[in-house]
Amino acid sequence: MSSIVDTLLSGQLLFAALVTGSLYALVALGLNLVYGTLRMLNVAHGDVVMLGAYGAYWAFSVGGISPIVAAPAVAALGALAGLAVHRGLVRRLFATAGAGSTRLEGNSLLLFFGLSIILQNAAALAFTPNARGLAYWTEVYHLGNVAMTGNRIAALVIAGATCIAVAALLGRSLLGLSMRAVIEKREAATIVGIDVDRVQAISFALGFATAALAGALVSMLEQISPFTGFPFTIAAFIVIILGGLGNLFAGLGAALLLGALETYGVALTSANMRSVLLYGAFVAALLLFPKGLFARRARAA
Amino acid sequence: MTTTLRRRELLLAAIAASTTGAYAQADAPVRIGFSMARTGIMAVATPPQQTTYDLWREQVNAAGGLDVGGKKRRVEFVSYDDQSKPEQAVRIYEKLITDDKVDLLLAPWGTPFHIAIAPVLEKYKFPVVGNTAASVALRQIKPGYLWFPTSAIPDRIGVELTAMMKAANVKSAAIVSNVLPFSKEIKNYLEPELKKAGIELKHTSEYPPDVKDMTATLTQVKQANVDAVIALAYPGDAILYAKQAKELGLTAPFQFIAIGPTAAFFAKAVGASSAEGVVTIAHWTPRPDWKGSQAFYDAYSKKYGEAPDYLDAALPWMSLEILQSAVARAGLDKEKIREIISKDTFETINGKVRFEGVQNVITPTAFVQMQKGKLQLVWPKSIATGAYEPKKGW
Repeated sequence: MSSIVDTLLSGQLLFAALVTGSLYALVALGLNLVYGTLRMLNVAHGDVVMLGAYGAYWAFSVGGISPIVAAPAVAALGALAGLAVHRGLVRRLFATAGAGSTRLEGNSLLLFFGLSIILQNAAALAFTPNARGLAYWTEVYHLGNVAMTGNRIAALVIAGATCIAVAALLGRSLLGLSMRAVIEKREAATIVGIDVDRVQAISFALGFATAALAGALVSMLEQISPFTGFPFTIAAFIVIILGGLGNLFAGLGAALLLGALETYGVALTSANMRSVLLYGAFVAALLLFPKGLFARRARAA
Repeated sequence: MTTTLRRRELLLAAIAASTTGAYAQADAPVRIGFSMARTGIMAVATPPQQTTYDLWREQVNAAGGLDVGGKKRRVEFVSYDDQSKPEQAVRIYEKLITDDKVDLLLAPWGTPFHIAIAPVLEKYKFPVVGNTAASVALRQIKPGYLWFPTSAIPDRIGVELTAMMKAANVKSAAIVSNVLPFSKEIKNYLEPELKKAGIELKHTSEYPPDVKDMTATLTQVKQANVDAVIALAYPGDAILYAKQAKELGLTAPFQFIAIGPTAAFFAKAVGASSAEGVVTIAHWTPRPDWKGSQAFYDAYSKKYGEAPDYLDAALPWMSLEILQSAVARAGLDKEKIREIISKDTFETINGKVRFEGVQNVITPTAFVQMQKGKLQLVWPKSIATGAYEPKKGW
């Protein structure tokens, strides 16, 4: 028994929880941005993570470029992809369904679901469904009795710093102010002269960029395949339900909470309980905080 | 009048015959069908099988075609995506036989798919040499039209792995197991064998296939301080396991990872030093007395830029060799093919293969170890290409 207490207090689990939590935070941030400003749930969000991971993988295995160096470029490509999706698909959806109509939400779900399947299978065709992985910065560092691999430290630092930077941007700048205005009251934002379309385009760019960045980090930690994106969509979805849809700052806290719940929960029970813990938290959040998803949806309609 | 009628009938019959392929001309290609999981959860695992099939077709056609009872005919594939669903594979094999009327069939990927199509093969009396399937459940398949060249059957793995651990002077062990069928099956057969052999099992735990972090589990494994860690992992979590075993500094000298290390991507994903010394399941490696094994290794490496998977590419190639040899003697007569496969002894890249019932009774259950970047057979001694060495860190 004392060995379990030692494990819990060792700091090793805290590090694991922070790595998991910060990656969840980074992935969920983008999903939440897009949901907040457009009221669209991007089911293909995890697939952007997958593409980002492939970007870093190819940069590393063909060009010998470190995933950390490639990460900003991968994020920039992600931003371009986000703009393209917004311009090519989302605007058209608004044009045909009409902004604010109830059909829009259903249609957008179908649209992103289709996009997700297309991205997965296009990746399978282009890269083959082979699992891949890369070994970068695998040195192990010790801080007290905590052992940390270089690439996990890098993932934690970059994901954490990016989340803080985006939060600061949204908290302090005029762009952030207008984004939050669109998230909270879209119609009112239009009236006070905010270019909602532009805000939404930026949300897409930022959302895809952070997802692609998360992918570049993930490529160092685990194997990647065309189908590794979906679990990230699910994890991000749980995070934003826990934190509140459209509530960016609560989402960051919720991600860390989920990372801790997963890591410590598994240590106390068994790894087989992981899904029970994750979905249990998800269901509990929906039951205890029913105002999350559905209240907002009713108001938006 | 009657003669013209008869002539027309003959003509019609000839057309019908040529479209069904029953009396195809010598230069018409041999059509070979199979289903493949190209999408869905199994899609990650199937590429080594598909690439091996493709390499075989390329080589056979480059050599002028497949020897069909003395006549050389080009090979053409007819294949469909089974979306990782065994029931879809059943429909596809039924369609391949009755609708596409293929001349020969190759195996789909994975145990559940082999088991699922067995009744279809039985019904249409269509022989198929299986490959990427391994389970004690295979022995329940009615012998006749489906055979399994693999020797990596979980009950034998339990016995042989224990014997190997004993020989390596292992006194205590930890098992961490994915909950997927193959790894659970190995666990169920391994645990009683370890007990019988007096190897103390100090830690055992399971984890789900979608595991993302193993810190908690592996911290406990480390505290157990054992001689051997048996990671009954699949390729995805094998990577995660190796990376985190390195982080936490698991020092057990005997490191076994069930599935993953036979694929070329493993060493790339975890780094050569981490892969070094890992023991895994495989019964093949290129060696001079297994004719064609080095040639297969070289041809595959040349075409695809990486070494073939020692299980999932080697087994499909063996199945193709067996089918090819049977067809050379029997032509496309299914009953004759069946008879030859079920009775004869075949020379393959994995040595001699002979079936009793559904199982290969010659190839021994074996293990390989990564040594200086190459997988060497280290168990059993009878086919070993190298001696087991304790793993020195990650």
